[in-house]
Amino acid sequence: MKDRTVLHIEDNEYNRKIVRQLLSRTTYRLLEAADGEEGLAVAKRELPDLILMDVQLPKLSGLDATRLLRADPRTASIPLVVVTSFALSGDDRKAMDAGASAYLAKPYSPRDLMALIHRFLPEN
Amino acid sequence: MALLSSPLGAPVRAVAKIRASVHVKLLAGFLLITLLFIAMTAVSLRTFAETARETNLLDQAHERVGWSRQIEHALAMQMHFTSMTLLSQGSDPVSLILRENNRFNDTLARLEIAAPAEERALIQAIRGAQDDAMATVADIANAVRDKRLAEAMTVLRTRQEPVYQKIETLVGSLVAAEETRMAKFRASLAATHRQSMRLMAGFAVASVVLALVGGFVISWSFILPVRAAHGFLSDVAAGRFGGTLVVPNRDEFGALAEHMTWMSRELRRLDDEQRVAAATLRGLNDRLALASRAKSEFLANMSHELRTPLNAILGFTEIILDELYGEVPANLREPLVDIQTNGRHLLSLINDVLDLSKIEAGRLELGVGEYSVQEIVEVVHASLRSLAIEKGLAFSVRVAPGIPTAWGDGRRLTQCLLNLAGNALKFTRHGRVDIDVSLADDWLTFRVVDTGIGIPKDEVENIFAEFRQVDTTITREYGGTGLGLSITKRLVELHGGRIGVESELGRGSTFFFTVPLRADGGPA
Ligand SMILES: Nc1ncnc2c1ncn2[C@@H]1O[C@H](COP(=O)(O)OP(=O)(O)OP(=O)(O)O)[C@@H](O)[C@H]1O
Ligand SMILES: [Mg+2]
Repeated sequence: MKDRTVLHIEDNEYNRKIVRQLLSRTTYRLLEAADGEEGLAVAKRELPDLILMDVQLPKLSGLDATRLLRADPRTASIPLVVVTSFALSGDDRKAMDAGASAYLAKPYSPRDLMALIHRFLPEN
Repeated sequence: MALLSSPLGAPVRAVAKIRASVHVKLLAGFLLITLLFIAMTAVSLRTFAETARETNLLDQAHERVGWSRQIEHALAMQMHFTSMTLLSQGSDPVSLILRENNRFNDTLARLEIAAPAEERALIQAIRGAQDDAMATVADIANAVRDKRLAEAMTVLRTRQEPVYQKIETLVGSLVAAEETRMAKFRASLAATHRQSMRLMAGFAVASVVLALVGGFVISWSFILPVRAAHGFLSDVAAGRFGGTLVVPNRDEFGALAEHMTWMSRELRRLDDEQRVAAATLRGLNDRLALASRAKSEFLANMSHELRTPLNAILGFTEIILDELYGEVPANLREPLVDIQTNGRHLLSLINDVLDLSKIEAGRLELGVGEYSVQEIVEVVHASLRSLAIEKGLAFSVRVAPGIPTAWGDGRRLTQCLLNLAGNALKFTRHGRVDIDVSLADDWLTFRVVDTGIGIPKDEVENIFAEFRQVDTTITREYGGTGLGLSITKRLVELHGGRIGVESELGRGSTFFFTVPLRADGGPA
């Protein structure tokens, strides 16, 4: 069976590095994108099994990218976790409204992130 | 224009234009009427004098006619007595004749004095005739005395009778003259009377007409500006400023109209200024609203920008501690945990500051929904239990049984209870901290009781203000910025609730807040 693919869209290099480090010990295949447009392109090209989307991204915001992915039938059903700024600020509701499968408030605990990934995408 | 609609427009305007005070105009009007009355009185007095004089003349003529009649009478008596002398042939009648003669002469003398000049000649003639008559009487008397009766008879018939007749004729013409004069006087008197009647009537009519016209004109010259002012003021009251009040008056009313015009212009100016100010304010307000929107956008961005590096710091620390990079040397574990603790503290500070700015900007909205009171209390208990154990404090929670599912922003209320309980644990060294929730009349009361250091009376009011801390030594020990209570207070108020505290210094504090069981979350 082909390894499960996770697409991480995040503009901050260090945060990408954390996820890279987290997933290095697993069987997941990791794809990365540094802005909304690139993320959208990679998602449509690679059709990953799970998308981690930061809410605030250059060029195209995470929420807009989420909406566009949900509008495309090929990507509409891919599990998508939005990483919001602040759970209390209303971002969580906006994320769910845009079509996210779940949200995770920044700063998140890497342990919690792994738990979430496992929930949507059990490891082989 | 209202002025044209007035009766007697031209004279009214003329009076209005007179450059004199209202007082003077009124006085002049009254004076005019008074002068008219004085003139009328003078004319009537003159007429009265004239009438009196003519009446007097008439009386005199009347008297003279009377006298003339007496003379006639005396003459008749003389004639009678003369005849008697003849008949009785005595001397008695002679003395009677003399008496009548005397009366005749007396009366004639009086008449002569009173008579007008043209009658003098007539009177002289009468006197002469009377003298003749008396001479004849003497002759007759002598003849009678001498018994010459026939001669006496002849004298009587030939001389005496013609003389008497002459006298009679003369007196008759005198009477006639006087009567003519009397008629003339009477006519003149009647004429004077008629004339005076006409004059009086004329004066009366003239005074009435003049008084009416004068009163009318003067009063209208006052009424018109008042009416114009009334219309003008109605305009001002309706907000139509800046008009001009035109009145022809050059008196107090004119001055008043000028002032009112000035007032209206001034009002117009103020009104314009205030409109400009309002427009400026509106513009300013719009810009402020824009700025406020920009501020909250900035805050949202800022929130994320701050969290992103913090996420990296906390994330790396955690995965290092979780030994994703390999085994962590024992001596590095403590400083790594310190990094983690401080990173978390920094995070809570960021959260607080952003929360407060949002509330301040009125941008914080409650995410209302169903929540369970029991769950809130359990979350708070779970997250603070380790701290309580660490400090050796008893920490218990109690939720009154039978509280139904509530409506409100559960996460915000959790934050509130967490703040209060966190404070209680922070400011208590020995003893216990208890959380208690009860329901009464559809109001939930969350209560946190501690046996901590308490709050001085003069500080109780202040602790809900931002950055307010009673004792900074504890802050140095446990951290904190003094924002927890002010955020809690605002969140409770957003729910339509109330927060309060009872505290005794050195013995402990009880913080509590009440919120409706079903809060709609509208801004408080
Ligand atoms: N339970 C308590 N007992 C004694 N003093 C208290 C208690 N709760 C609050 N205070 C006083 O009120 C002040 C304000 O409290 P608040 O929660 O607003 O700020 P903080 O706890 O100092 O900082 P922060 O909550 O922002 O981390 C505290 O500094 C303390 O002096
Ligand atoms: Mg506090």
